Amino acid sequence: MSADVAVRRPAAEPLPARPRALRRLTPGHVVALLGLLALAALPAAFGDFGFFVGQYVMVYAMVGLSVVVVTGYAGLISLMPYSFAGVGAMVTGAAMASWGWPFWLAAPLAAVATVPVSVIVGAASVRLRGLYLAIATLTAADFLGETFFRWDAATGGETGWTVTRPALGPIDLSGDPAFYLLTLVAAGLLVWMVEGLRTSRLGRAMYAVRDNEIEAQALGINVFKTKLVALVIGGMLAGLGGAFLAALLVTSAPSPFWSPVVQATSILFVTLVAIGGIDRALGAFFGALVVVVQQQIFGGAEFFFAFVGIYAALLLIVLLRFRPGGLVQIGRMQWQLIQRRPAVGTAVAVGVIAVNVGLAWLFVGLS
Amino acid sequence: MTAILRTRDVTLRFGGVTALEEVDVRVGPGEIVGVLGPNGAGKSTLFNVISGFLRPEHGRVLFLEREIGHLLPYERVAAGIGRTFQHVRLFRSLTVYENLLAAQHRHLSSGSFAAMLRLPSARRDEREAARRADAALELIDLGPWRDARPDELSYGTLRFLELACVLSLEPTVLLLDEPSSGIAQKEAEALGPMLERIRDERDCALLLIEHDMNVLLGVSERVYAMDLGRIIAEGTPDEVVSDDRVLESYLGRTTGRARAPA
Amino acid sequence: MSGGAPVVEIALFGLSSGAVFGLLALGLVLIYRTTGIMNFAHWAIGLLSVVAYIGLTAAGIPGWGAVIISLPLAVAAGVGSYRLVFRKVSRANQIIVILIAIAVAQLFSSLAAFALGFDAFTRLAPWLPVTQVTIAGAVLSANELITAAAAVAIAFGFLVWFRLSTTGRALRAVAQNPEAAMLAGIDEAKYSQIAWGIGSALAGLSLLLVLPHVAGEQGGVLTAFEVSPLGTLLIPAFGAALVGGLVNMPMALVGGFVFGLARELLILAPAPWNGLRSSIAAILIVVLLLLRTERFFTVRQEREALEA
Repeated sequence: MSADVAVRRPAAEPLPARPRALRRLTPGHVVALLGLLALAALPAAFGDFGFFVGQYVMVYAMVGLSVVVVTGYAGLISLMPYSFAGVGAMVTGAAMASWGWPFWLAAPLAAVATVPVSVIVGAASVRLRGLYLAIATLTAADFLGETFFRWDAATGGETGWTVTRPALGPIDLSGDPAFYLLTLVAAGLLVWMVEGLRTSRLGRAMYAVRDNEIEAQALGINVFKTKLVALVIGGMLAGLGGAFLAALLVTSAPSPFWSPVVQATSILFVTLVAIGGIDRALGAFFGALVVVVQQQIFGGAEFFFAFVGIYAALLLIVLLRFRPGGLVQIGRMQWQLIQRRPAVGTAVAVGVIAVNVGLAWLFVGLS
Repeated sequence: MTAILRTRDVTLRFGGVTALEEVDVRVGPGEIVGVLGPNGAGKSTLFNVISGFLRPEHGRVLFLEREIGHLLPYERVAAGIGRTFQHVRLFRSLTVYENLLAAQHRHLSSGSFAAMLRLPSARRDEREAARRADAALELIDLGPWRDARPDELSYGTLRFLELACVLSLEPTVLLLDEPSSGIAQKEAEALGPMLERIRDERDCALLLIEHDMNVLLGVSERVYAMDLGRIIAEGTPDEVVSDDRVLESYLGRTTGRARAPA
Repeated sequence: MSGGAPVVEIALFGLSSGAVFGLLALGLVLIYRTTGIMNFAHWAIGLLSVVAYIGLTAAGIPGWGAVIISLPLAVAAGVGSYRLVFRKVSRANQIIVILIAIAVAQLFSSLAAFALGFDAFTRLAPWLPVTQVTIAGAVLSANELITAAAAVAIAFGFLVWFRLSTTGRALRAVAQNPEAAMLAGIDEAKYSQIAWGIGSALAGLSLLLVLPHVAGEQGGVLTAFEVSPLGTLLIPAFGAALVGGLVNMPMALVGGFVFGLARELLILAPAPWNGLRSSIAAILIVVLLLLRTERFFTVRQEREALEA
């Protein structure tokens, strides 16, 4: 069958050849590279505390990426991302503490271990409409909390497993700065991967299913399979994030994954990703940056749900009303401003970053 | 004549209302077949049964001599049945070009991990998708609106976009549900010749629901007339429009009856 | 409650917690069927009343008075979040609506935690009598009897009012068809707010019936579990609402009793089965979701939506 022209309407002008910027260095690449370098160095300005916070940002971003794929791409409201992270953390702990596996094998196992959970939850619930899926996932988190996360063989008991941070051959990565760099590389890699998914056959199928299931079917897309793939990939990302979380905390206690605390944390993850920009991989990173930095600067654990909750919730409500694309959308508008009026745009961007970094620096210095 | 698509005794009821009753239609290779009837006659329901969005209570749907009644909508697309909807459905958050890319789904095969790692198979798929989407974009001459969102375009333009998407599926049979609705008069006049070109150049049979009689009668080789879920007449356009029952269903009882979903 | 407790006492405990689930579910269903929004912030809104109650009782106001004064806070929070936030977003985008409901839940539960001052435990004084009464040989807690009776009375009173009063009829009209109701001169915005107001009051009341009495004579205790966006009872309340397909109120009330009794009566089950107690709500919800209960209460909407 020929794919040649058949229903051409009159007067077609030839299309310009599509520029493929795949292997060429664009300004965007330069900015991304500079940003990455800046991120690698930035915590140093805050001393030990900077690296401590930085690790959290990166690990939260990894778990947040699962929200990007499941909710942002495929439009499935899952309120159990943190339960998947918990499965990853427990599996990592069990593999390292009781079987003596190295982290580099335990982390992939953590990702794979989430697959059966995703498949069971998905097969039972992805045919449900959005609202029912939200209730189903809340319930599944409840169920996991009462069963898996109370099963001592999996969790290592109330105190959890002891996890050691990995080493890369002779290089020890257990110190905060080194582990921060490891999480930065891992999170960056995962952001790159999730971004690659977006512009691929399956990523487009996910967007299509999110926008209009019926049209997606009419264009030959298997809606059920597409949703299931999104859930499985999301689960694996969260599981991997959980592995890094266990390494970050050097332990894996099960109590944070009991209901209703686990749902509260999952909700925080959905909130922070929606703040960052729910349908872009970078959104998970921006969201984690904003929420975790606030959390760590303004208080310890008891402030966790209170102060950060108020701040994140208000920020999200305002963003959803006016900029539903989140911080990524604002960033893109800023980027357009830079391209249109380079001097003004760059000044604004540098100013915003400088003010934020400066404020953070001041607060850290004061506390 | 051998049929590539046929329905046998297809019957479907919603509650107490009969939407389709013992409907037999067939479409031959390269044929253009029209379906006419008043609102609520069951035309769109018939399309939904053929494309798999509704399951008939009994009756069979055969495609290329094969029973396809058990196949899901996307599997029927893979088999070679494409369709459009009475009201344009597109992906509203995607651009024109991304809509066309999404329509190439069934010609591609790379998996999620290949895409995430940018493996050669995924990159090959992307080049293939881009090549096909470029061709489709050129087909409907929407190059300047490549990066526009559907909401920025006129309804008529969206019709062409939808048609380009469904043609990208390379269907053997194409079901078109009122392609002229909502488009400008001038474009409606160009529709008939365009449909014939699609048939000739894409080697594709057409089953067409159309309220614009000029288009329907001008382009169809055979016509089915439906009313109240039944086929009430079948034949050449001339035969059908002079059929008493058809005239009655259009001019006679227009009120006072239970209406099945259209 | 220990394994040897008589059936009557356990059943009463099941009835009283079931009544609370039913009352919570009633509010959820009222808001959902009137405005199309599943209120994930239901618990958090009720929590605001509890915070006010704590403050008022600490200031020496008697418990029942504190309850009356604190309920309007939940009403204000519910109506306010509807007017300022939910009403401003298109109902068509379910993802955004759910995200906003989650954000509102987070906002209110965080505000509650903030107001409580981040203490790990907050004591609540009881306002219902917590004495033990002996009826036909069974030792029963008065507050459980009252809670069960009050919840049932409130629910039935509400249902009768909903069915017979002018406001109730208008609410039902808005629920069934907002556009038609609007054409009939019913102010849809006003009645949506009324639904949010009543639903939020029910949320506050439900929490105040149970939270100050969970520890019997010692009153009640709030921990991080209670002061979280979903709290400890919202999931069974969702389940109760699902029994009525999220739209049918009498069935939601019945659902509350199903969830309450199922959970408590499992205490009496033999050894391996009583372990199901903590996960029975989740199991029941999965079954209800798979049954797709909304089918029994909403007629062929999906098919028609497809046809449109």
